[in-house]
Amino acid sequence: MASISIENVRKNFGAVEVIKGVSFEVADGQFAVLVGPSGCGKSTLLRMIAGLESVTEGDIKLDGKRINDVPPDQRGIAMVFQSYALYPHMTVAENIGFSLELKRVPKARIRAQVGQVAELLQLSELLDRRPSALSGGQRQRVAIGRAIIKQPRVILFDEPLSNLDASLRVQMRAELQRLHQELRPTIVYVTHDQIEAMTMADTIVVLNCGNVAQWAHPIELYRRPGSTFVATFIGSPRMNLIRGMIARQEVMPSFTAAEGWTVPLAGRNLTAADGQPVWLGIRPEDIRLVDAGSAADLSCKVAIVERLGAETYLSVVNGAETLLVRVQGDVALRPGDTVQLALDPAGFHLFDQTETRF
Amino acid sequence: MRQFTRAQAAAYGFLTVTLLFCLLPFLWVALASVDPNATMFLSLPKAITADHFVKIFTANNGGRWFFNSLVTVGATTAVVVIVGGMGGYALSRTNAWWKRPFLYAIILVRVLPPTALIVPLYKVMLSANGLMGALVRSVVPPDSTRAAMRIFGFVDGYLGLILVLSAMQLPLALWIIKTYFDLTPKDYEEAALMDGANGWQRLHRILVPLALPGLGAAGLLTFIGAWGDFLMPLTFTSSAELQLLPIGLFRAFQRANTIDYGYLSALALLYMLPAVAAFGLARRFLVRTFTGGIKG
Repeated sequence: MASISIENVRKNFGAVEVIKGVSFEVADGQFAVLVGPSGCGKSTLLRMIAGLESVTEGDIKLDGKRINDVPPDQRGIAMVFQSYALYPHMTVAENIGFSLELKRVPKARIRAQVGQVAELLQLSELLDRRPSALSGGQRQRVAIGRAIIKQPRVILFDEPLSNLDASLRVQMRAELQRLHQELRPTIVYVTHDQIEAMTMADTIVVLNCGNVAQWAHPIELYRRPGSTFVATFIGSPRMNLIRGMIARQEVMPSFTAAEGWTVPLAGRNLTAADGQPVWLGIRPEDIRLVDAGSAADLSCKVAIVERLGAETYLSVVNGAETLLVRVQGDVALRPGDTVQLALDPAGFHLFDQTETRF
Repeated sequence: MRQFTRAQAAAYGFLTVTLLFCLLPFLWVALASVDPNATMFLSLPKAITADHFVKIFTANNGGRWFFNSLVTVGATTAVVVIVGGMGGYALSRTNAWWKRPFLYAIILVRVLPPTALIVPLYKVMLSANGLMGALVRSVVPPDSTRAAMRIFGFVDGYLGLILVLSAMQLPLALWIIKTYFDLTPKDYEEAALMDGANGWQRLHRILVPLALPGLGAAGLLTFIGAWGDFLMPLTFTSSAELQLLPIGLFRAFQRANTIDYGYLSALALLYMLPAVAAFGLARRFLVRTFTGGIKG
């Protein structure tokens, strides 16, 4: 097992800079997830750690040792590809044992080790099959088996669940967590799916346009997003962002929305920010429906009702603003109804004009 | 019972006539090759004989022609599969600016009629032959020069004919193999790299097995194309001991005042067999290559 540190790493493809000075660290045995929208450079970064792409500038270190110029097979790193890349002309056993065979490990030992890995991954019955005769989940497990048999210091996963259907994805997420707990390898996992990131990671690196937008523990990211990008990327359904300004008030600062309503911002020192345009972020679960007549912050019209059974998502409209509200259970509302909303001040996130957290 | 409309009946009638028209020459060749009194008309043989086949190998040098054809065409296929395999891989993986112009330029070799190229090609080969002659004379004793030139000569030598046939067949093979590698994800090679495979191991353990259908299809088309070539062996070989089957067949047709149809048919049948056998063996590669890539 090993720790990884990425220090001010840059990558250019011709004149295009894809990774623009990225730094973060993954501790020994940690499950780190690189997450971000398509094209943010997360797969390129992973391939640089693997040694499949060169590093234009900066250092990649494994246990403090610079590995920029170490060939991929000598880094002690294994990788699970998005396509799995199982060799179609080899059986499951041959696929898993291929790296040992290349190292000229005696056949009997290869067989024993393949057997152990297969047992761990519930593949023992499938060892003689070709990849084409396996289901998506089974192929995924073979790809993982091929990685762990090398007893690597680090395992890299490149969007490994993106080819699986929804229910299998949930199952494989649990299996990956179980494997991580049993074997404790250092894992760097790339995904564009923030649910995968939130559920599995010890630490998440959010990437945006080749930069680290934020690097933190999942709950920290959820509770204190550093920018509007992270605020809207992490969390499902996404956080509401309301345009407005900090209002001048003698006693307590408040937020006045572009649509005219006002909420107090208690407990914050915002004297210097008086009159400054800002974004107020609030998660859908921090907005409550209140009865007509009780204290409400604003009143809106229901546009869309999405019933999921255990909870209901309401899209509500107030002038040019659209807010998403998450309500427990079912509610007897229909599009066109008027609702009174109260915003929980504890769930307020303020971002300035550069979209950075106050 | 299904009722045929008049149009359907006409269509089936037309197809039957077309089918017969296509099949009759083969039937004629097959029947005439075993008919002691074969004529140029289709008829059922009254007796069956193997004399024509025996004559090819005894009275004439048929065994030698067959051997020459197999050696040159076999070597051509090997050259094309190896060079085409490496070139096709490189062309598939490179993003160089010259890739497209190059691919279109080489296909010109197939587009231009070979007959139009024969004079300049002969001139080039003759010059190369002169150089090769000088080289051979400098390393081989004088009494073996002729034998060595029969192998290494560019004109009237195996090597020259093999190179010319390879050059004619290579463009199509490069296109087929390049297209096949385009459909083969780079992930396999990268996975092998991560598994610790060196360049040679990646080639023979991963790339060649993955590309086998593409290489097989290209090899098959090369074999059939080169086996059926007539102009190049006619132009670039002259000595009797280098004669290939198609030239043997052609000269047998020209030679006598009275044409021995039975002998010609037997020779033609013999000439057809390797191409048909190659197709039978490698047909599945064609199907896999032209119906789409690697199935994981």
